[in-house]
Amino acid sequence: MRAATLMLAAGLVACGNPFPAPIGSAHPDDAIPRRGGTLHRGTFADVRSLDPAVASDDLAAEVIENIFAGLVDYDASAHIVPDLAERFDVSPDGLVYRFYLRQGTRFHDGSELTAADVKRSIERALHPSTPNPSSSLYDTIDGYAAFAAGKADHLTGIAVEGRYVVAIRLRETDARFLSVLALHSLRPVCASGGDRYSDAWEPCGAGPFKLVHGAWDRGLRLRLDRHDGYFRPGLPYLDAIEWTLSMNRAGELYAFQDGNLDLTHDFGDTDLQTLRADARWSPFLSPEPDRTIDGEVMNTEIPPFDNVEVRRAVAAAINREHYRAYKPESLSPATQVIPPGVPGYDPHFVGQSYDYDAALLHMRNAGFPYDPRTKTGGYPGVIPYYLVRQGATEYTAQILAQDLAKVGLRLELHLVNWPTFLSLVYTRGTVAMSAPGWNTDYPDPSNLFESLFSSRAIAGEQSTNSAFYRNARVDELIESARHELDPARRMALFGEANRIVCDDAPWAFTDTRRFVDVTQPYVRGFAPHPVWTFDTASTWLDRPTSAKRSTLALLWSRPRSLPTLLAATHARRAW
Amino acid sequence: MIDPATSQRLRKDRAALGGFALVVLLVLFAAAVPLVSAHDPWTSDFVVGVGPAGGPVSPGRAYWLGTDRIFRDELVRLAYGARLSLFIAIGATALSSLVGAAVGIASGYFGGKTDFVLMRFVDVGLAFPFLLLVMAIGAALGQTTPTTIFVVLGLTGWLGPSRVVRAKTLQVRNADFVVASRALGQTTGRILLDHVLPNVAGPITVLATLSVAQMIVAESVLSYLGAGVSPPTPTWGHMLFEGQEYVLVAPWTLLSPALAILLSVIAFNLVGEGLRNALDAGQIGRR
Repeated sequence: MRAATLMLAAGLVACGNPFPAPIGSAHPDDAIPRRGGTLHRGTFADVRSLDPAVASDDLAAEVIENIFAGLVDYDASAHIVPDLAERFDVSPDGLVYRFYLRQGTRFHDGSELTAADVKRSIERALHPSTPNPSSSLYDTIDGYAAFAAGKADHLTGIAVEGRYVVAIRLRETDARFLSVLALHSLRPVCASGGDRYSDAWEPCGAGPFKLVHGAWDRGLRLRLDRHDGYFRPGLPYLDAIEWTLSMNRAGELYAFQDGNLDLTHDFGDTDLQTLRADARWSPFLSPEPDRTIDGEVMNTEIPPFDNVEVRRAVAAAINREHYRAYKPESLSPATQVIPPGVPGYDPHFVGQSYDYDAALLHMRNAGFPYDPRTKTGGYPGVIPYYLVRQGATEYTAQILAQDLAKVGLRLELHLVNWPTFLSLVYTRGTVAMSAPGWNTDYPDPSNLFESLFSSRAIAGEQSTNSAFYRNARVDELIESARHELDPARRMALFGEANRIVCDDAPWAFTDTRRFVDVTQPYVRGFAPHPVWTFDTASTWLDRPTSAKRSTLALLWSRPRSLPTLLAATHARRAW
Repeated sequence: MIDPATSQRLRKDRAALGGFALVVLLVLFAAAVPLVSAHDPWTSDFVVGVGPAGGPVSPGRAYWLGTDRIFRDELVRLAYGARLSLFIAIGATALSSLVGAAVGIASGYFGGKTDFVLMRFVDVGLAFPFLLLVMAIGAALGQTTPTTIFVVLGLTGWLGPSRVVRAKTLQVRNADFVVASRALGQTTGRILLDHVLPNVAGPITVLATLSVAQMIVAESVLSYLGAGVSPPTPTWGHMLFEGQEYVLVAPWTLLSPALAILLSVIAFNLVGEGLRNALDAGQIGRR
């Protein structure tokens, strides 16, 4: 009863705009970046490993990008540019990639980066004893099969051609090779990393920031300090970046309001809507590119979705604006396979859209006519729909069920926990319908088509093609695109695959999803990065350290929000 | 069962009368609102149900209690939630009282090995925290419906009452009128029905009324934690969960289910307390 009274009090006093005025910029007119300061980043997530060879979670990518530099990297427009390599060239047959390293580049341990380090790091990452979840992305490197099977001591495709020159030979042309090389897996590691993976190793690379011993308090905090020997002179501007890990949403919100955090992208839509409507805050909201595609996945091997007309009916029955209404800040209606943040997205192509009459027609063609006036007919069975308990799909699934009921398809929601969901959805013959979504691993359409719609991705378990969809023409297009080195012709192949998949509707594409970065005004030069969350090289603080308000000051400035204060005090104690 | 003195005591107890009135209001609310409302609890209204800032619309003429996060009528969902809460709470209480009374009477009256076995079983059951036990069973069942929740709550809630009934039965067993009946050759069944049951009925009634309040809370907690009835079925606990993220921008989504739970728990507790005082049932149900 006491808890209920407290809640009541919280609700009554907290009405209205909960955000105080932002802590202002100290030198708003200063255009020249200042050096120094620690950027505080809050996140609900945690990091399991910071070894580029094995890390797979989203937050790890953001941290690893700061510790490890690669031969090539994605720039602010998601184009591939040389990084540790000064330049690179590709042989006319498209099989040999030759990288010329910058001379004098220093690892965090002070040693110089050489071609031998590059070869050692690649072999370390792809060695069969390394639990690397993305090693198959590199299967076109010559000698990969023998090396991955443990039949060879070295990868024959990697050749050291001088102290600063390394060549990678492929066994066949692979148009996405540079895209996957720019990922973290093969990035050079210090000599201390050895030539085999070990989970006891302390991460050490050649990136702009280094991890000092003791600066990672697992599950709680992670701090990176500036690498003074970084190869780009004068960068980075920040002294350090500090992540507060595993925060709960309310704690993160209050810590940000309190000025204890400088950057976050975990705010919910309600908070984002409030900030957007507040002219003091709206300039400091930066949406990241939409790289996640969401859709209702229909298992093409399970009735009624083995019938293409039922799938088309679903694709036409969903009003995407209803999904957007639920989360207007982070969802946009989707009409095709490729989200706007990935090359190959065609803003003029509408492959799927809401068309109620067409949906009824497809149901009739499928043999399940439905009469909306009498509400009779439709598919006679009940379709089990699996979703994660208390996740965002809990709401979109209820919206979906309303839309599908209008064309005679009845859903029964089965709520399960996250591990159960993962094991069910990717197992063959188990789930008729679900919405697992797909966050693209690298900005290239091959990642979407190869993982989700290629028959090669079908497996008994852990099948990323969770619709168990197969179409010979789509397979052919995906294979051709893999070997097509001309970018325009390659995109045309994906364009055709996009049209076929939208028409076959193994997925009813519903929305694309994005995070929205929120920064304090004194965080300058900030831009969301199209692949790595944010760009630290250009970020600087125009206060020497982030301004922190005392609990007393907080009380003074916002006497009406007592619960805010209580939670803020609690959050601080938790640190 | 209710003699004139008891009913007179009840009539003088203002708190208990207030509790009765609240319970009647609650039942009326649950029964009537869905019948007269223009909205249904399952359908979103993406036109009138959306507020100017894009969130749920605030309480007003179109929606008396506003809308929830996917723009459904909060009032009619609250009423359906009341039906569900009352069905589960009263059903589970009936079931747990029945089982509790049967076990308690058997244990107290027959004593010996029966008593030992039954009471050790009760001890083991009571050693588990109630909600943990309920959640574990709920999780094991997977898909949960209102019926499974009421069965789970009913079959786990009888342990405490069985103890109380056993104690009362022990008192009654050796009372003169029971000994006399036995001497006159009445069957055990008759003795239990005619003499034991009427004497333990008071405590059972008090316990049952108080238990309704506990069951409402238990059902809400289960739904709040996501182990209760699956959406889109509205439940107070789940509405509370849905509303918490919106507390700053749409406080009604949190306040309405919170107040509903608060008031109904108070109501049943007041009635229970009143009955206890009126039936002169002493310490039963006190914690």
